[in-house]
Amino acid sequence: MGCSSSLPDRSTGRLGGLNNSESGGVADAKNLRVKLVLLGDSGVGKSCIVLRFVRGQFDPTSKVTIGASFLSQTIALQDSTTVKFEIWDTAGQERYAALAPLYYRGAAVAVIVYDITSPETFNKAQYWVKELQKHGSPDIVMALVGNKADLQEKREVPTQDGIDYAEKNGMFFMETSAKTADNINQLFEEIAKRLPRPSST
Amino acid sequence: MMEKSFNLLHIIQHRRDGYGFALRPQHIQRYRDYANIYKEEEEERSYKWNNFIEQQAKSNHSSSSEEECREKLQAEADELREETVFERGREEDDSSDKNSDSDGSTKSYPGKEVKLSEQPEKEVQLSEQPEKEVQRSEQPEKEVKHSEQPEKEVKHSEQPEKEDDLSEEPKKEVQLSEEPQKEVQASQIQERETLLSKESDKEGQLLKETKANKVQSWSWTRPSLHVIENMMSSRVKNIKDMKYRHNTINGDHLPSIKKTGSSGGASVAEIDKELCFKETSDDNVDKSTEETNVDSKGSPESFFPWKELEFLVRGGVPKDLRGEVWQAFVGVKTRRVERYYEGLLAEETNTDESKEHNNSNAAPRKWKKQIEKDIPRTFPGHPALDERGRDSLRRVLVAYARHNPSVGYCQAMNFFAGLLLLLMPEENAFWTLVGILDDYFDGYYTEEMIESQVAWISGPWFLSIFINMLPWESVLRVWDVLLFEGNRVMLFQTALALMELYGPALVTTKDAGDAITLLQSLAGSTFDSSQLVLTACIGYLAVTEARLLQLREKHRPAVLVVVEERSKGGRVWKGSKGLASKLYSFKHDTGSLVEEKKVSEGDKSLLESHSSNLDDLLSGLSVDPEVDSLPDLQEQVVWLKVELCRLMEEKRSAILRAEELETALMEMVQQDNRRQLSAKVEQLEQEVADLRQALANKKEQEAAMLKVLIRVEQEQKITEEARIGAEQDAAAQRYAVNVFQEKYEKAVASLAQMEQRVVMAESMLEATVQYQSGKAKALSSPRSVSSSVGSPRRRIGLFGLGWRDRNKDKDKPTNDDTGTS
Repeated sequence: MGCSSSLPDRSTGRLGGLNNSESGGVADAKNLRVKLVLLGDSGVGKSCIVLRFVRGQFDPTSKVTIGASFLSQTIALQDSTTVKFEIWDTAGQERYAALAPLYYRGAAVAVIVYDITSPETFNKAQYWVKELQKHGSPDIVMALVGNKADLQEKREVPTQDGIDYAEKNGMFFMETSAKTADNINQLFEEIAKRLPRPSST
Repeated sequence: MMEKSFNLLHIIQHRRDGYGFALRPQHIQRYRDYANIYKEEEEERSYKWNNFIEQQAKSNHSSSSEEECREKLQAEADELREETVFERGREEDDSSDKNSDSDGSTKSYPGKEVKLSEQPEKEVQLSEQPEKEVQRSEQPEKEVKHSEQPEKEVKHSEQPEKEDDLSEEPKKEVQLSEEPQKEVQASQIQERETLLSKESDKEGQLLKETKANKVQSWSWTRPSLHVIENMMSSRVKNIKDMKYRHNTINGDHLPSIKKTGSSGGASVAEIDKELCFKETSDDNVDKSTEETNVDSKGSPESFFPWKELEFLVRGGVPKDLRGEVWQAFVGVKTRRVERYYEGLLAEETNTDESKEHNNSNAAPRKWKKQIEKDIPRTFPGHPALDERGRDSLRRVLVAYARHNPSVGYCQAMNFFAGLLLLLMPEENAFWTLVGILDDYFDGYYTEEMIESQVAWISGPWFLSIFINMLPWESVLRVWDVLLFEGNRVMLFQTALALMELYGPALVTTKDAGDAITLLQSLAGSTFDSSQLVLTACIGYLAVTEARLLQLREKHRPAVLVVVEERSKGGRVWKGSKGLASKLYSFKHDTGSLVEEKKVSEGDKSLLESHSSNLDDLLSGLSVDPEVDSLPDLQEQVVWLKVELCRLMEEKRSAILRAEELETALMEMVQQDNRRQLSAKVEQLEQEVADLRQALANKKEQEAAMLKVLIRVEQEQKITEEARIGAEQDAAAQRYAVNVFQEKYEKAVASLAQMEQRVVMAESMLEATVQYQSGKAKALSSPRSVSSSVGSPRRRIGLFGLGWRDRNKDKDKPTNDDTGTS
């Protein structure tokens, strides 16, 4: 046990690897570059959120994500800074959870998505929150997102549950609908505001 | 029925490609550009394949008939085996009470029944060995007397008779001609099925349903593809043998097929085990013969033009043949166990009933749910995936999940199954999927996904085998090669080829994000499938299965460690990184190690809380014998990267050299040309010079001629002038002559006048004289005589000197006259 234990040591321990942008890749004070990962159960609409945000499209018959997919989008904030999101949209099936660390490692932002019509996906979201608290970057910005807010009549996860859980875990919460584009851009703007700025460090 | 729905494929919609798959809007134009190229390629390759197949059908006629013989034997053996199993079951009845119900198993446990009849299938390979051996030992003989085929066949078909005294079944078969072998098999299947469906009323309905599918499905492969099929089948058999041996050594369970029965009850499992051990002992006996078999197995294959086929496969499989060829590649026929598929589907009804009170169903239910979620998200909108198509898809996926519970259902399979269903009937698709996932991608889609911990970007490529990542034509072309090769090498080759194709473009991007975005979109527009496949296959020959296996073995422990530690709680995952860094710093700086150790002391408390988790985990983990060292994932990644870079560098240098050589060659060729050309030019120049010389000469001659001509002309002119002059002279002379003539005439005339005058004057003179004489006579007559005597003399003189005389006379007369006057 003693052999496999030590504090995470960033200064000496990094052996190159594929994630060079360890802290999410900050370019400079005015132009931020941020690695963002979407996690959540299968079919909650992760890919749809990303597609809505990046391309402004919604395809009700989107296809299964295998492994992960990557997209990026830049937004401009009011204080004339730009934030470039490098978004890793992961596969939802439990099986692929084994691959998730490849994607959330070094991410500055994690968006954990559940489907408000399915309590099961809310449980899964909580699993991901715990997983990230254990393995993610310590200063990771986490957002809890209840998607499919347009399906109010089928709602099974009360908004308050989401709010409560998010508050307890120091995340911010939002309900969105990729279908109606509700709160999608706001979500990413909110994330951008909460990012640690290089000037402050 | 199903066929019909898949035929809808031909209705190509506006935004769908030739296979009915959706096209991204930004790719429509490019697809259109390539559609014609695809069409041309398709024509070319169907022509080539036809040639190949015809050729094979001709040249391998003898060997294929032999194969058919073998098939027959296998079919016989199948039946035989079934019988032996039942016998064995009876034997076991005697020995143990546990198996008491195995005879009636068909009724009470349909699932078990299926299993029992599968069980023998395993055995088929084993107990078949001796038979095969006999066949093989005969091969040299066969080759010697090639013309005596009929005899040979008789001999073969007699073999079973000699060998087995167990049943009359084989004899019946021998009588059948070998031509309709296929149909016979099919009809036997049907027979058996009907028999069984009578036996087990529960599953009757389902069986009938699937049977209908099967009637079409098992008369599929056109005879011309037999050769390929048989070759591939032998490969599959080899794999199975190997696996089997491996299993016996490990004392492990037989392949997962057996496990499917776990829901069937404990007694079944125990029968399984017993049978398994029996087989193991059989196997041990057979092992020695098997070993020799492996060697001799090469002999029929060596006749086969692998290289040619490989070349064809790289060029792509024709659309119409693809389904069948893929099945042949995967060895569907050899893999197939009769009624197994229906059996798996039949379980459904059972498990549904016992769902509530069985824990082992948790996983299948999970899969089922996931499958339901994913079915509408598989090739959404594809014309073939209507209600019926989706049902097929669902059945295939459920069946596979049950067939191999250690893998179950994993996203991506839905795409594979969907793709296969577009190309072949349902059960064939199932077996092909089994082949792909169990052999080709063994370990890829398991719960731990150990094999597939690759990297961010290549991960999705590999997991989906490029489906949705490349344009369809390219995906299919990659699959062609992949299924032909029978291993995962093509995955790496294709990934490397993509990197090669797009590497230069990626270098220009600013950051990793852009690079990935670009790579994704570029990969998505790799419409030049031939370029991709050929780059992959020919460019990366260095990537071989052996090498990958080596790397895999090397890095598996590392991945396993990471996976294990990740599943532990706490910060152990990071701890492992700490370990790596420790190892790293140990090499470089021992001081930091001490420091780290100090730090780790502080962390101990944290870790202690996880020690209990650790124990749980260790017991829960599937024990892998390879977990012996603890390298780091990152090291592995780095190493792989280095390896990749090295390979790419090799490749690049090879390309560079090739280019250099090419340019050198080109230059040489050019120089060569130049020399030739200059020689020619020289020659031509010489000729031109010669011609010019000749021309000059000619010109000179001409000039000379001209001069001569001019001279001649001048002479002519001169002569003409001379002539004219002469004429003029002549004229003048003539004129002068005339003048003279006139003058002469005048003179003559004047002379005549003068003469007249003279005459007159004379006469006058005479008259005067006479007058005077008359007077003188009268005065002196003498004088008159003298004058008369002188006158004749004067007359003569008158003629010569007449004019002078006359002039004298004139003078005289005038004088006279004057004198006288």
